[in-house]
Amino acid sequence: MSTVLEQIELQIAKLSNKGVKKNTGNIRTIADGVAKIDGLSDVMYNEMVQFPGGAIGIALNLEEDEVGCVILGDIANLKEGDEVTTTGRLLSVPVGKGLLGRTVDALGNPVDGKGPVEAKEFYPVERIAPGVVVRKSVSQALFTGIMAIDSMIPIGRGQRELIIGDRGTGKTTITIDTIINQARINKVGLASGDPKFRPVYSIYVAVGQKNSNIARTVSALEAAGALEFTTIVAAPAADNPANLYIAPYSGAAMGEWYMENDMDALIVYDDLSKHAVAYRQISLILKRPSGREAYPGDVFYLHSRLLERAARLEGKGSLTALPIIETLAGDVSAYISTNVISITDGQIFLETDLFNQGIRPAISVGLSVSRVGSAAQIKATKQVGGKLKGELAQFRELAAFAQFGSDLDAKTKAQLDRGNRIVELFKQPAFSPLPIELQVAVLFAMQKGFFEAVDIKKVVDASVSLKSFFTTRKDPLLAEIRTKAALDKDLEAKLQAACEEWKSSYSA
Amino acid sequence: MATHAKIAEQLARQLFKLSVVDGSVSAAQVAGVLEYVDKHRPANPVMVLRAYHRLVSAEVARGEAVVEHAGAVSDAMLSAIAAAMTRQYGRRVVATARPSAALLAGLRVRVGDDVYESSIAGQLAALAAAV
Repeated sequence: MSTVLEQIELQIAKLSNKGVKKNTGNIRTIADGVAKIDGLSDVMYNEMVQFPGGAIGIALNLEEDEVGCVILGDIANLKEGDEVTTTGRLLSVPVGKGLLGRTVDALGNPVDGKGPVEAKEFYPVERIAPGVVVRKSVSQALFTGIMAIDSMIPIGRGQRELIIGDRGTGKTTITIDTIINQARINKVGLASGDPKFRPVYSIYVAVGQKNSNIARTVSALEAAGALEFTTIVAAPAADNPANLYIAPYSGAAMGEWYMENDMDALIVYDDLSKHAVAYRQISLILKRPSGREAYPGDVFYLHSRLLERAARLEGKGSLTALPIIETLAGDVSAYISTNVISITDGQIFLETDLFNQGIRPAISVGLSVSRVGSAAQIKATKQVGGKLKGELAQFRELAAFAQFGSDLDAKTKAQLDRGNRIVELFKQPAFSPLPIELQVAVLFAMQKGFFEAVDIKKVVDASVSLKSFFTTRKDPLLAEIRTKAALDKDLEAKLQAACEEWKSSYSA
Repeated sequence: MATHAKIAEQLARQLFKLSVVDGSVSAAQVAGVLEYVDKHRPANPVMVLRAYHRLVSAEVARGEAVVEHAGAVSDAMLSAIAAAMTRQYGRRVVATARPSAALLAGLRVRVGDDVYESSIAGQLAALAAAV
């Protein structure tokens, strides 16, 4: 209470007799989260306007004799004739490390009941993306902890990698695993005291999701110890469409703070399909001309200006973006899907068929690509996993051919068996990201034929046993792989010996 | 329905343009417009007149400085305010006084969409918003 009194006394001391000029307008109509306002003659595009009762809005339509504003916040008490004032400011959100571990809404207000957010800086929600000259090429790996991705579709810091698939195929799970893996790596790296270690801070933007899903995500991150490195921006389905429209940009502003302060961040947009739908709703209510599938003409710009803000900067940090798009019946040629595919630096395509067959994560290796590629991989992964994509491609061709005939030569059978073993090996339970050194060990064992004698149906058990063996009994070897990040002859010999030791003790 | 509103709005805007002479609304022109609407009854006359009313109100407000005051305000003060606003906006502005005890003290001057706040009530409201 004494702090509040001090604040009031300070404010009274600052009071001056100077007049303050405001530009005002009156609400003419208000419906569906959009207000049409008479007046506001000095308002600028995207300017924040103040409604009575604390609600704020953004001026999106500047017409000859009215201004169309989307309202962020509670509109229940607003009515025709209410006075609206310009603020002279763009919409800004709090940024900084004070947001870590917190769940906030699209405006940066806390919704987790843990008190006010400690933030010293505010960044504008809408910002122009970094130009060409200030960018640096992506060359540092961002480990998702999912073996199929880190070995064949590697992601780098500063990249935009789209995750696309039907409902219930594991898109969100991949992103949560990635966030959990960053937290795990951060803890190990910070504990090591290495001055060159760069932690990755995560931002998860939930757009249009059920509150129960968001709560479950928060619980999963908290249980895995990842929440302390994560900020959650929640714009659930119950929020008005303006909040859903703004939320990804708010998250991007929070991520840009890390990027511009020489730190690395990861941002997940879950998902941009709902974001596009919210923007469509706003645009239709504002009577903007509609185009294909009733989306406004600038729906591409909606996502391009968002995703271009993720980059790696010269002399500063990086912001990696993992946008999610939900498809219907696997149609990647739909409007929003093709838009976002053309913007991002690659996509991870999840298939329902694979998911139903038990191949989880249900990544379609053939349709997935990372345009950054091996530039974002450590040498050790390239050494053990460089040929995997090609082998799997050959396997898929042979598998399609083999179903029509029963007489196969020994070489073809061996290739099919090997392909099936690789597919089994890449199965991974949810919320269990693997450290990169463990992935290298497992793939090394695969490449050297240590799984050849294992029945295909037992490969998953065998890989669990191998991982447990390395984790419990070969931790110094794993640490060496992690530190060196490349397999020299000495390290290869140690790995070979370790695998043989495991094989002798393992019985299927 | 939306098309009717659009057509009514367009007609109202055209009638409004005819009503402004030398930068201010002309009473004679407004009377002429009302006579025209009465005689020729365009489609949706109520919509047209409502839109016309809104446009004329906004234009009239731009030429008038409404001085809300809690205490006494002299004619000299009103003249000074009118002169200052005329200089500020580059068009003739007439000041009219309107007592408002809710201001507590000080003045609030409204010219069109612009509000010049110098009242205690306004400052207390700003203080409340800041805290």
